Amino acid sequence: MAVEARLSHTAAMILQAISAGYVYGFSIMEMTGLPSGTVYPAMRRLERDDLIRSQWEKQSIADAEQRPPRKYYRLTADGKATLEASRKRYPLLERLISTEEAKSL
Amino acid sequence: MKPSHDRAFRALQNSMVCAASLLVPAGQRPEWRREWKAELWHVRHSLCECGALSWQAQREATSFCLGSLQDAICLRRESRQVHDPAPRISGAAGQCILRLCTLLVVCIVLARLLPGVQSERDPARFQVNPGVILIQTSSSTENLAPTISPALFRDWKSLRQRNFDEFAFYHTVRETAFVAARRGARWSVTHASSNLFSLLGLQLPFDPAPSGDASGLPAVIISHDSWRRDFAFDPDVAGRVMRIGGRAARIAGVMPFGVWRLPGQPDAWLLEPDAQLANASPRALGYLVAHLSPRGQAAMSGESISITVRASEDDDTEFYGVSFAGRLRGPWGLFWFALILSLLALPAVTSVTMGESNYSSHRPSRKRTMVRWAFLLAKFVLVAAIAYFASLDLAWWNSSNYSPLAEFAQLAWAFAICLFGFRWALADQRQRCPVCLRRVTHPAQVGLASRTFLGWNGTEMVCMGGHTLLHVPSLPTSWFSGQRWLYLDTSWEFLFADSGAW
Repeated sequence: MAVEARLSHTAAMILQAISAGYVYGFSIMEMTGLPSGTVYPAMRRLERDDLIRSQWEKQSIADAEQRPPRKYYRLTADGKATLEASRKRYPLLERLISTEEAKSL
Repeated sequence: MKPSHDRAFRALQNSMVCAASLLVPAGQRPEWRREWKAELWHVRHSLCECGALSWQAQREATSFCLGSLQDAICLRRESRQVHDPAPRISGAAGQCILRLCTLLVVCIVLARLLPGVQSERDPARFQVNPGVILIQTSSSTENLAPTISPALFRDWKSLRQRNFDEFAFYHTVRETAFVAARRGARWSVTHASSNLFSLLGLQLPFDPAPSGDASGLPAVIISHDSWRRDFAFDPDVAGRVMRIGGRAARIAGVMPFGVWRLPGQPDAWLLEPDAQLANASPRALGYLVAHLSPRGQAAMSGESISITVRASEDDDTEFYGVSFAGRLRGPWGLFWFALILSLLALPAVTSVTMGESNYSSHRPSRKRTMVRWAFLLAKFVLVAAIAYFASLDLAWWNSSNYSPLAEFAQLAWAFAICLFGFRWALADQRQRCPVCLRRVTHPAQVGLASRTFLGWNGTEMVCMGGHTLLHVPSLPTSWFSGQRWLYLDTSWEFLFADSGAW
């Protein structure tokens, strides 16, 4: 895959965080420890490369909880494949952000 | 933390997010603002303990907002890289034309603002009647010095003439003019025949010699410079009485800017009866203006006429009459002369060939060739237009009156700008790819003349679109005298960032 070879460690961490269930910007920042100035542009680039997809939460849900709607991110099929390849390249990635940890939250 | 402090922090953080969104390219701005605001709400919410945030939490929320500024700067940089591909713009033909057009607009705007240029560009303002000539003694036709005595004017006017049907005379002296009761100024005053302006046919916005003046005071016309300098552009100056050289005179009006093109640059014209003018001091040499009769016009050869006056058997005096039509051509005549001169001189300063030879039989399409020639023509036209307006600006920017020196300056500037502008246009064209019209770049020196005997040495440059290579020999030889183009086939295109058309 063309994108796979260009994926940086930062991008791989973001993909792993989304895969682990940290599905919005601030939670990814908290989990990865990456600053705001890095995470959001990186997520835009991942979205441009069709590795992740964003979706605004329904206004009715946000209204019911009396908060602004937020933007959620999820992996695409290409994103999942790229993440699998990246895990082989960065073996510590999965241990750094484990899926079980996110599920327990 | 007090609620008021919390509100202040909230306002600060919101304004930081808004400021960050303003840095984002306009198309993505609403989306980013919405996301940052939503995220900021959740950041604050996750840090909130009891209604108001602690100092530590406020610091974290503010650092999140600072991160949004970094996001915005990053996005802006990325957007600029996407939209401003440097190789595409650099050296583009459109950019070259745009620069020339900008320069032309600047020159035109300057020409509109400078009164000297405005006056010069309207030849109708200073054109005189056909058949009017300036008569001088033949010995001084070049420097236009005053040579005619008042007595000669009186004699010529009193005698019956075959070649002339009207005369006017003027001479200039320095006199003290009182523009106010006690304020005197040294003026250069031209004493002129009352029919001078009607003989010349100058279009003045007032009657230069009003006949209905009951006071009997002579009329004086003041120059535009005097009006500005001594009357501070007073709009009610016409009709006022002033003293010039101890005599009272009534101001008839102000000479419009740039209308007077005859020799001398007076501050005022005092119109006097011919009898009074003819009785002036014999040393007050001046200029004789005459109107040719039909017979005189037939005798005129070109723009001059030679006049021989026989006073006695052995005493012939030569005079020389020169037409004003030749002297008052206006800026177009000078410009065309300079343009033709520069085109004739162009082969002396540069090669006029376009370096058309190439290594292969490949030729650009007919459409490309036509576009290339149209581009060269556009550059020539724009350079010529810039030369016209820039030469006017440079020659007449500080001229308040007509001066032959300013005319010469206009000619010299127009010639220089045309010559070197055309030279640049040709040199620029030779360095542009015949396919896309971009300038070839990345010069590479190949071989050294001192180390190769029959091998090629020179400079190679490449078109950024991947269309051509240009070979320029460092030492022209009989087998490689000029530059040559090598057309690259389409297999080269993938190597170049921007192979699109210009």
